[in-house]
Amino acid sequence: MTKAKVGFAITVLFLAALAANAEQKTGAPAKGVPSTTATTALDPHKPIVITGGKLLTITHGTIENGLLIIQNGKIAVVGTAGGVFPLPPGAQVIDAKGMTVYPGLIDSETHLGLTEIDAEKNTNDLVELSDEIMPHMHTADAFHAETELIPVSRYNGVTNAIVAPDNKDTLPGQDSFIQLAGADASQMLLVRDIAMPLNFTGKERRNESFATASYPQTRMGMAAQMRQAFTDAQGYAAKWDEYNKKKAAAKAGEAGPTPPSRDLKLEALLPYLEGKKPVIVKAEEPGDLETAYALAQEFKLRMILNGLTQSQGIFDKVASWKLPVIVGSIYDDPKAWERYDAVYKVPGELSKRGVKIAFASFDAHQVRNLPYAAGFAVAFGLPYDEAMKALTLYPAQIWGVDDQLGSLDVGKTANVVVANGDPLDVTTDVKHVFIQGREIPMVNKQTELRDRYQNKP
Amino acid sequence: MKTSNGAARRGPQLLWYAILLASCVSAAAQQPANYSAAHSGKNEFVIKNAILLTTTHGRIEHGSVYVKDGKIVAYGASVSAPASATVIDAEGKYVTPGIIDPHSHMALDGDVNEATNPVVPQMMMKDAFDYNDKAIYRALAGGVTSSLLLHGSADMIGGQAVVIKTKYGLDRDQMIFPGAPQSIKFASGENPKRVFGDKKQMPSTRMGNFEVMREAFTQAKDYQRSWDEYNEKVKKGDKTASAPKKDLKLEALVQVLQGKMLVQIHCYRSDEMLTEIAIANEFGYKIRAFHHALEAYKVPDFLAKDNIGIATFSDWWGFKWEAWDAIPWNAVIAMRHGVKVAIKSDSDDYMRRLNQEAAKTMRYGGATEDEAMQMLTINPAWIMGIDDKTGSIDVGKDADLVLWSGYPLSSYGVPEKVWIDGDMYFDRGLPGLGMPQYQEGQ
Repeated sequence: MTKAKVGFAITVLFLAALAANAEQKTGAPAKGVPSTTATTALDPHKPIVITGGKLLTITHGTIENGLLIIQNGKIAVVGTAGGVFPLPPGAQVIDAKGMTVYPGLIDSETHLGLTEIDAEKNTNDLVELSDEIMPHMHTADAFHAETELIPVSRYNGVTNAIVAPDNKDTLPGQDSFIQLAGADASQMLLVRDIAMPLNFTGKERRNESFATASYPQTRMGMAAQMRQAFTDAQGYAAKWDEYNKKKAAAKAGEAGPTPPSRDLKLEALLPYLEGKKPVIVKAEEPGDLETAYALAQEFKLRMILNGLTQSQGIFDKVASWKLPVIVGSIYDDPKAWERYDAVYKVPGELSKRGVKIAFASFDAHQVRNLPYAAGFAVAFGLPYDEAMKALTLYPAQIWGVDDQLGSLDVGKTANVVVANGDPLDVTTDVKHVFIQGREIPMVNKQTELRDRYQNKP
Repeated sequence: MKTSNGAARRGPQLLWYAILLASCVSAAAQQPANYSAAHSGKNEFVIKNAILLTTTHGRIEHGSVYVKDGKIVAYGASVSAPASATVIDAEGKYVTPGIIDPHSHMALDGDVNEATNPVVPQMMMKDAFDYNDKAIYRALAGGVTSSLLLHGSADMIGGQAVVIKTKYGLDRDQMIFPGAPQSIKFASGENPKRVFGDKKQMPSTRMGNFEVMREAFTQAKDYQRSWDEYNEKVKKGDKTASAPKKDLKLEALVQVLQGKMLVQIHCYRSDEMLTEIAIANEFGYKIRAFHHALEAYKVPDFLAKDNIGIATFSDWWGFKWEAWDAIPWNAVIAMRHGVKVAIKSDSDDYMRRLNQEAAKTMRYGGATEDEAMQMLTINPAWIMGIDDKTGSIDVGKDADLVLWSGYPLSSYGVPEKVWIDGDMYFDRGLPGLGMPQYQEGQ
């Protein structure tokens, strides 16, 4: 035991010396800003020991002077650093004294991999506008794994995200759940077609002007069109049921029944009608929310709610539905008659009523700012612990991946962030990010430009 | 997403106008008759027990500020004020100068761009100023006390800006910043070339952009000469001299050439900054600041040499091609090279939490507390030419002050009270909109 303790101390000193050397080598010029570029990443095949930090475990409180060991891509140990413990052979130690250690953040709605530059059409695959009902669009098919936006996003500790189409159709397609690191798209796309947005904010109408309006020009049109689509899908399922029954009943040697022709659009709706996957009902105002909720109930769809920025008036009712809510964006404008802080308070007001909430950036370039929305919500009444959960455990539960993600617990995927302060504060600097136990190099397009121009002759 | 969605979100125009009309009518109807009288700048009070972030003299723990007749009379660890002055106990909370937003298009009723001609310096933004716009109230609630309302960037030479104090609830003329110098908006890059290129007009390229400017200033020089010649003749007693036709467009450009306007240039790319500087030198005018200036970090010494400031975003990027090389270290790198840096909103959203945007410079590049505060206050004030009147806690300056619930350079600091010229315009603790004597439903 004593031997292990000594060995551990030596390792710490050794790594500290290495770090000091590295820092000297990359020292910034006098006029520049401090460079935070990491040096070589740690070996993912050997254990990584993060010691002395404040662990925000999410599921079992805060551990001061904590110890976290990552092994084979998983969290192997979560405990206190003070004790004597057998250090795994080949352990690589990160001194996290004064640091905060927390699970990787999960962004519950992004467009990562679907856009590069907003104004440049050829870099966007956000939504198929040829029809309103596009459930057979799969964001996984367009996901651009090498996007420059992902290294920028994970630089701030976001390790997982939902990739959703833009909400300009009522049923724009199906979301993917990604991790923000991997050799290629197949490694990053953790769950394809995880859920389907059902948008009902009014922005999906085709009523830009009376001259160019097309169906559905109104909310009635949007609802009627969706109702028809789900009804068609039910009819389609019935035809296949009938066919399958006849086929099963057909005697050997007899010519079987002719199969119905396949319809990919209607087929895409079936997992949702069968309740195998959730729809994400996005609405902002009470009227829209209740219409969309009723429509989803009519077809017995499993629901996650999204938005709700202007629905404060019916939050008691929303709470009684016992549904989780992706909340925001809290930066949306309040209505003309509302106080300036009406939307900022939405997360706190929902949380107070026992609603499980998750935060989202609803963006691509600004995914990195996800934790700041949660921090701002704290300033407007959301309890701090709930804010942390709404970035980690709650989204993991909502997306059905909490056996792997969302907290610092032994056996979970080692998506771990080490930062020099409060994760929700705008001034906090993220120092290390691990995804599946691999240390992510803290470099991206922007750090490269910074370093290039700082060292300009 | 911000740029591309802008037009789509405007969506159903009829409904939008209906709401707007309704809100204007109700706001005007609710203003009590005595509101202006109660905001006469005659208050006398002392804020005590505050952490003062002066921005020009660092931080003062347990500080006090004494305000009288709309001005800061004294500040420091202790101040002597008459017993008659109202005492406000800040309870250890933070007090800062009001935030100054040097790039805003709020309260213009959507009339941001007169995009029918690439040169429109005769446009006056004060003619479009909608003083009833709730956006002013939301900026105020975010701690903003002065804003520069600029023409848009569709034109190479846009209109003349208006400087306002966010005294929401007062009349139009009471909101205009007295004595603020005249700023004018220029643009460059993608917007003008797209707007006019789409109409198959010049400019449709960056070459076209700059030639349009040279053409305009060449005309302005000719115009100026014709007036000089006329005036010279009159001076010599020539009764037959006929005055040239007055042309308001060229008059405005002559004022630029005479250094009577602060030139604020929308410019993203570093190469365009250098061309803008060359054209300014060619025609003999000064550039006050580059706005957006996302590539200032590539050429900071050129800006510092000519004393050109920047009004930039903290971390916006990638919304258009000319914003592709934006980095969040831009502000601090430029500052370390001696450039005066302001963080601006250019957004009815970001203007509500500019303090958080400035705080990001502490993380990206290690700005100090003072430097981050300066990017919010005295530096934008300098860009707008009002730094002798506001932008810091200094004796004799306008009492534009914000009391914060927590540390303003964080995710958590929220304005509790906002004073402009010594009058309180916002108090978070009040019901309704949080405005003294101006509450919804009254």
